[in-house]
Amino acid sequence: MEILRYDIAILGSGIGGFTSAIHASHHSGSKLRIAVISKLHAMRSHSVSAEGGISGVLYHGKGDSEDLHAYDTVKGSDYLADQNAVELLVKNAPKEIKFFEHIGVPWNRGDDATIRQRAFGGMSIPRTVFAADKTGFFMMRALYDYTLQLKNVDIFHENFATAIIMNKGRAAGIFMIDLATSEMKLIEASSIIIATGGFAKVYGFTTTSHSTTGDGIALAYKAGLSLKDMEFVQFHPTGLIPSGILITEAARGEGGYLRNSDGRRFMEDYAKSHMELAPRDIISRARMTEIAKGKGVLHGESGLEHVWLDLRHLDKAKIDERLPMIKDITIKMLGIDPSKEQIPVRPVAHFTMGGINTDINGHAMLNGKKHADGIWAVGECGCVSVHGANRLGSNSLSQCAVWGRIVGIEAAKYAVSARKADKKALHMQAEEEELRIGELLDRKTGSDPYKIRKELNSVMDSNVYVYRKTSELKRAQAAVARLRKECESIVVNDKGSVFNTNLRDALEICNLVELAGVVVDGAIRRKESRGAHAMVEYPKRNDKEWMKHTIAVKKGKGISISYSPVKITKWQPEERKY
Amino acid sequence: MRRDSRFMVFLYAGMALVPLFLFLYLVAVIAYAPAEGLMLGLAAAWMIIFGTFGSVEIYKHGRLPAEQMPLIPGQTMAKDLESERGKRPKGAEQVTVKIKRFNPDTKKFDEESYDVYEDRLATVLDTLLKIKSQHDNTLSMRYSCRMGICGSCGMVANGKPVLACETNLLSELDENKSITVEPMQGHPLLKDLVTDFDSFFEKHESVEPHLYRNDKAEQYSAEKAYRQTRKQVNEFLPYSYCIMCGLCMDACPVVNSNTEFVGPQALSQVYRYYKDSRDQGSKRRLLDADNLHGAWGCEFSGSCSKACPKGVDPASAIQLLKASIMADFGEQL
Repeated sequence: MEILRYDIAILGSGIGGFTSAIHASHHSGSKLRIAVISKLHAMRSHSVSAEGGISGVLYHGKGDSEDLHAYDTVKGSDYLADQNAVELLVKNAPKEIKFFEHIGVPWNRGDDATIRQRAFGGMSIPRTVFAADKTGFFMMRALYDYTLQLKNVDIFHENFATAIIMNKGRAAGIFMIDLATSEMKLIEASSIIIATGGFAKVYGFTTTSHSTTGDGIALAYKAGLSLKDMEFVQFHPTGLIPSGILITEAARGEGGYLRNSDGRRFMEDYAKSHMELAPRDIISRARMTEIAKGKGVLHGESGLEHVWLDLRHLDKAKIDERLPMIKDITIKMLGIDPSKEQIPVRPVAHFTMGGINTDINGHAMLNGKKHADGIWAVGECGCVSVHGANRLGSNSLSQCAVWGRIVGIEAAKYAVSARKADKKALHMQAEEEELRIGELLDRKTGSDPYKIRKELNSVMDSNVYVYRKTSELKRAQAAVARLRKECESIVVNDKGSVFNTNLRDALEICNLVELAGVVVDGAIRRKESRGAHAMVEYPKRNDKEWMKHTIAVKKGKGISISYSPVKITKWQPEERKY
Repeated sequence: MRRDSRFMVFLYAGMALVPLFLFLYLVAVIAYAPAEGLMLGLAAAWMIIFGTFGSVEIYKHGRLPAEQMPLIPGQTMAKDLESERGKRPKGAEQVTVKIKRFNPDTKKFDEESYDVYEDRLATVLDTLLKIKSQHDNTLSMRYSCRMGICGSCGMVANGKPVLACETNLLSELDENKSITVEPMQGHPLLKDLVTDFDSFFEKHESVEPHLYRNDKAEQYSAEKAYRQTRKQVNEFLPYSYCIMCGLCMDACPVVNSNTEFVGPQALSQVYRYYKDSRDQGSKRRLLDADNLHGAWGCEFSGSCSKACPKGVDPASAIQLLKASIMADFGEQL
């Protein structure tokens, strides 16, 4: 085991991770030693797949204001977002958009050379800044390239973390395996920033990359940190059939229609004023209702039912300029030119609103009240919460950018004055972890991780989808409990030491199973329909009993659930109409 | 052989530039540094001529247009057929997938063959993942986004450099309904289809791929937006699509014989930042690229642009970079 010492260890190299690395570095005057740890090549994180754009109020004169952005976000969240956090988001987002411009992102410009904005679901006014339909990719490349010049930041490509080690309730270190060599490493760190993204891979039909397995959330949970609102999983209305690849909401923002099997724009029945630009939870529910009414279309190869996304009426030049990736993907994957044919789409697991429970500064919590000293969470893996029960499109990139700066600075401040961890205890904990991985590799027979993943995916796809039923959730709960048991005897057939992805897969899959348990548990208890959590038996939102966050803490092999209040500043809950 | 017309235009333009380049060199030789100038001039002329006439033939692949993707009508399928993405009741067929796996212990390739059923929508990556999860857990490859944007899964399929995730499997089959997948060999090999990117990343970093700015405080605090017209964005936009997949480096004949050459990926990024109107150190970039392991190392085979899955066209970036270096040199006279 190699032991390395850093002031700040950042787990994850997406937009949240890199942004916090840059700001921690700047804040410390390039003095603190910072490690950015990625299980992939650092520039390949799932953030590259973000397509549509980043939200923020750039121009006040044209009917837009920060209050309006905040109101849209709170209403979109179905009143589960913490409003003080939302206010922080909308206040800082414009500055961060300019920061990304300053480090090289090619924002789409108007004829007057200013940054242009486009319409997005649930936003009252066009306020989504974009770089074609590759916004996340451009932000990632700019961040990676910018970080390369910071000599106090070391990037660890392809190192898979297996444990976050705490010591007396404080951050102590990260244990990881170097994929290229299977060498085990312990990173001692005063501050730890978790930035590992979401966990939508608990589903089989998902927009997210293969790597979106929520490792950081699972490690935090196992280390004793609390998770918040895990039952809220966003289903994006337009996942490409059959792969689930995301067709950006910008396709509708630029004027695309949704049609059922009759060719009718069915959103007319569900959200008359916003139509295709209603928030995602509302469109996904509408979509599944249409399919249930027999207005879906059967897809031959996959056996999945879908509706159509129609872009045929859009100007070809507009598609080429603003949606080039969508065109490329539909042509390469399905042989469909969107200017000539409709695109088959269906609601698809896309974003996990829940995550590591943090305070407004991204500081992780042990439970409802006590902080985990030295640990922060940023981006999709954390739950501040600004998205509540349903995230609005393009708010996730603003969240990563805004809290990237906040946690970077906070972690840097803490690292300067942090007390040193008890090294002896830390090394002992690391040796235990080394032993655990060794035992896993030595095991000759046991459960097949890929079978576990397949079953998990199918259970979640069919029982914990857009509309949920208590009976189905209970079925999922039993299945996940069984899979959790199987994870204890999981077997890794690859015994080699060079690039052993079988070992990584096995660990990832068990992380997913752990998190799926928390999702299902929270969902069974929440007896209402709010945002992405739509219960067949309880079709209405119930503010009196359920306007509260679900807080989950690991207790032995079980889960302990409690609730915490939603922070309201300016906007009292009202009925959502679009 | 299929020659794409843009490439041919480029080729003739390159040929037309030969006398101009020679003339500029001659001026440089007389006025500036006679000995080095003369040598460099001769080398450049030779490269341009050789590059233009000699190496067009290196890569002759092209993507199959969407309308030519096979539909396989009337095909039968195996019972309970499933792929990584769920049940596939229609249009599946049996395919032989041969994988040239690099063995890190023996340092040799083991070729293994797998028979799988796949339908018309399966990609090469889908099939590899299926082989890994159902046939052989020890198979290693890189992958992540499966939508052609993360740059993980560059490899060679039936002799073509591809991103496995956006390559349709059935349309790549040879006459025996088989496909051979192997790792890129322009990078050091690690295991199976996985190669070592360390030196690739070092080369990228060595060209300082970030905006040079004199207003560091503003860059960080981001109080106001910089002005940039749409025309100015379009100057560098085509070169900013690089996903760092490494396929261009794998295809480049110079990189494969001269490890000092920084190669098409890094040079395309030099040009990308050079052409960005927000960059305040463009002269420095030209000076840094003005040598034989920089821009002048390129022999203009054009294979990088043929290999690039994102249409970045590093070959054009490098020739334009050479022209910019020459023009800058001309200004100094």
